[in-house]
Amino acid sequence: MPHEEVLDAIQSLLRNIGLELAFVDAAKDGTAQSLRPLLGELETVVRGTSQDDMVAAVVAAQTWLDGSIAEAVERMTHFHTWLDEAATAWTRGVSLPAWPTELPPLAAAVRPSGSLPSARSPATFSGDALPVTVLPEGWDAELMQLFCTEAQELLQEIEQGVLVLEASPTDADTLATVFRAFHTLKGNAAVMKLVVLQRLTHELESLLDAARRGARPLDRDAIEIVLAGADVVAAYVGETSRQLDGHDTGRTIPLPIQPIIDRVHAILAKPAMPSAPASAPGTVPLPEKRLPPKPIAPLPSAAEPSRPPPVASPVAPSLPAAAVPVVHATPAQALTVDSPRPSPAASSSGSVRVDTSKLDGLLDLIGELVIAQSMVAEAAGGSDGPLTRSLAQLRGITSDLQRTAMAIRMVPIRGAFQKMGRLVRDTAVALGKEIKLIVEGAETELDRTVIEEIGDPLVHMIRNAADHAIESPAERGAVGKPAAGTITLSACHQGGFVVVRVSDDGRGLDPSRIRSKAIERGLITADAVLDSRDLLELIFAPGFSTAAQVSDLSGRGVGLDVVRRNVERVRGKVEVDSVHGRGTTFTLSMPLTLAIIEGLVVAVAGQRFVIPALAVRESFRPLPGGISSVHGRGELVRVRGQQVPLIRLDRHLGITGGIADATQAIAIVLEAGSERRCMLVDELVGKQEVVIKPLGELFAGRTPFAGAAILGDGRVGLILDTLALVRLGLRSPTETAA
Amino acid sequence: MNETRLQPQAEEPLARARPGKYLTFRLASETYGLPVLAVREIIRLCPITPVAAMPPHVRGVINLRGRVIPIVDLRVRFGLSVAPDHDRTCIVVAQVAAAAGGVRPYAIVVDAVEEVAVLGEDDIDPPPDFGGTVDTRFITGLARAATGVTTLIALDGIAATDASLGKLPTP
Repeated sequence: MPHEEVLDAIQSLLRNIGLELAFVDAAKDGTAQSLRPLLGELETVVRGTSQDDMVAAVVAAQTWLDGSIAEAVERMTHFHTWLDEAATAWTRGVSLPAWPTELPPLAAAVRPSGSLPSARSPATFSGDALPVTVLPEGWDAELMQLFCTEAQELLQEIEQGVLVLEASPTDADTLATVFRAFHTLKGNAAVMKLVVLQRLTHELESLLDAARRGARPLDRDAIEIVLAGADVVAAYVGETSRQLDGHDTGRTIPLPIQPIIDRVHAILAKPAMPSAPASAPGTVPLPEKRLPPKPIAPLPSAAEPSRPPPVASPVAPSLPAAAVPVVHATPAQALTVDSPRPSPAASSSGSVRVDTSKLDGLLDLIGELVIAQSMVAEAAGGSDGPLTRSLAQLRGITSDLQRTAMAIRMVPIRGAFQKMGRLVRDTAVALGKEIKLIVEGAETELDRTVIEEIGDPLVHMIRNAADHAIESPAERGAVGKPAAGTITLSACHQGGFVVVRVSDDGRGLDPSRIRSKAIERGLITADAVLDSRDLLELIFAPGFSTAAQVSDLSGRGVGLDVVRRNVERVRGKVEVDSVHGRGTTFTLSMPLTLAIIEGLVVAVAGQRFVIPALAVRESFRPLPGGISSVHGRGELVRVRGQQVPLIRLDRHLGITGGIADATQAIAIVLEAGSERRCMLVDELVGKQEVVIKPLGELFAGRTPFAGAAILGDGRVGLILDTLALVRLGLRSPTETAA
Repeated sequence: MNETRLQPQAEEPLARARPGKYLTFRLASETYGLPVLAVREIIRLCPITPVAAMPPHVRGVINLRGRVIPIVDLRVRFGLSVAPDHDRTCIVVAQVAAAAGGVRPYAIVVDAVEEVAVLGEDDIDPPPDFGGTVDTRFITGLARAATGVTTLIALDGIAATDASLGKLPTP
């Protein structure tokens, strides 16, 4: 290489080092580590100059990074200037500048050439749960975030696959899927320099590879270890995410990596098959469908996964993995998952990750387009000309555009459902029950945010069902039920909402126990008259729990009240239906998206307001005498034999001019949980799908509105916060039901 | 209007008005000026949706091309006389610092927009001390003009203290 080129290379690296130096934060350990690869490169380039002093300087600089960051930065700055001058001097053929006196003398730092600075030592893998540093040296937040997201998806794939494998251990497709997931995980870990993770996933991959090739069928032990391994990876990834978010960055967490690796080795070494896969000599190569199997090797290099080496396999070519005779060592399993597995073709379709804020921006723009279009339409008038026809065409396109943009935010609920398979399995195994989980409608799509919000409620309800509702096999046998209990998890579209149902064929809710519990907790009085619906509603009351003993699986603090709160936060609702002895069904109705609601537009005193349709039960014109005043407690209106508190919207909002004579007005029955309120408005204007807009900082938490919407005529309509309205001046249902 | 007499949270003096371009407008009989950089646009008066349970100086919200933007009447806030809306009344859409960082839109009703004035260092006087009788917290300076004095204000401070005006009982 000519001197000029070397000089260029050195100077460009020095520029990068200078840049990195500017970003080093002495308080954060990791930040200086980005210098390491640059210095490594610099060392290679500088070796080309054959200038011992320059080489020695770069080698020395790398050792500084191991010490105090502040000191390293200080030294690097001097080093930077010196090397820049030295390199120039070298190209000009003059003698190198003197080594700065601020820096430790060079000779002391020189190491034998070729020895790379070793910052990570693999010697830490032994014993039980050893503390592990999750973030690698020189981590890049964006890349790590990407790694975590992808790892979480892969882990879900793995978990889902393993559950299938539990039922049918030789399912070739599933084996391949799980194997591939571990393989990808390993590759990603290698790229991110997560050595520990790479090692662990490598071992698990080997185990699956052996199973895939039929060398070592997946027995219960192997499945447990794969699940345990996946859990460790999940813990690792979870901690990484946490630290990326700035919690305890740099903290180490104890992870039982070595024990898992040891157990994998033990399983692979067991003479279940003639020999351990990698050491089988002289066998025929297996025709490979997807990825070449890899021999169990020590720590692979980061570049390893792409080479397709011809690998020997102990299995005859004519026998695909599924046909290999296996000993059915799996004991009676507690679980089958009847959901269709995502086909490999579906998962390989191209996709992009998009920041949701960009999507929201797109939706806003389309909203503006729709409004601008209606303004044009208004200006065009109702004339029957080409303009009107073109406008009609435009309207078609914009509404398609709006629908498509909306659909981008939608994701199948599958992800949330998949987690439940594992949950049911673990609960069943822990309690010695047999539970079958049936999943239906996992492809139903709804807004990502909604799915995130219902994750916890779902877990809670499924746990409740598996833990409390489904009886033990003996108990079930005694009442003539099949030994295996069934939990059905389903999702479907229903009238503009997504309905998610969790039903079980367990013991059902016992009305008399609910009643006595509610009395004991002071939720109702001993002589309260409640219909069965209101009685069941009591289980959503805060602090209510019917389980005779609190199990550590279902926890104790959180109850169904939290479920209801979470669901209501995304403007959904949850209802329960149960037949004692036969089973319970929880029904969650969720809006398709948080951005749009079905709204009922009402008018009062010349102003228009939007009421979320989900909260509206019915509307009617009150009959003369249907409204009774209760002295000092406001008005009540009779709705289907029940006295419901009446709220006059105009008075509630402090505006005047609404219709005072209730028989000339419209009463709307609002419902939230078991609570009902009747709202009096002047008229119903219509039903409209509205895009919810935030009211903004100025109004947050200070108004009786949940947001705003642009109405058909371009004006802003305010969306009433019906939850707050219904809970207003709350009286217990027992008083109003009498 | 005792709510406009609230003491500022901290006694830090407001940043002094800097030379530059200012949009001047009339509120009642007085002329005010905002730095043009804080102004997004000026629009005709449009239908305002009142929002219940807000202090009287908050007129409500408007729809600005699909965005819902709060609109505030500074005449009420400053205790000036409020004339009924007329044909020169318009809305100045500005942006102010958001509590969560970044900016948020903030619209004000003005009686008339006058001009964009270029003010030099010498044209701007520091905010006067009226001896505590006048609320000068949001005044960043005074500018002399041929027609009189223009009061330069900063909306950030005004917007940030909207929330501290207690929820007033609506009549």
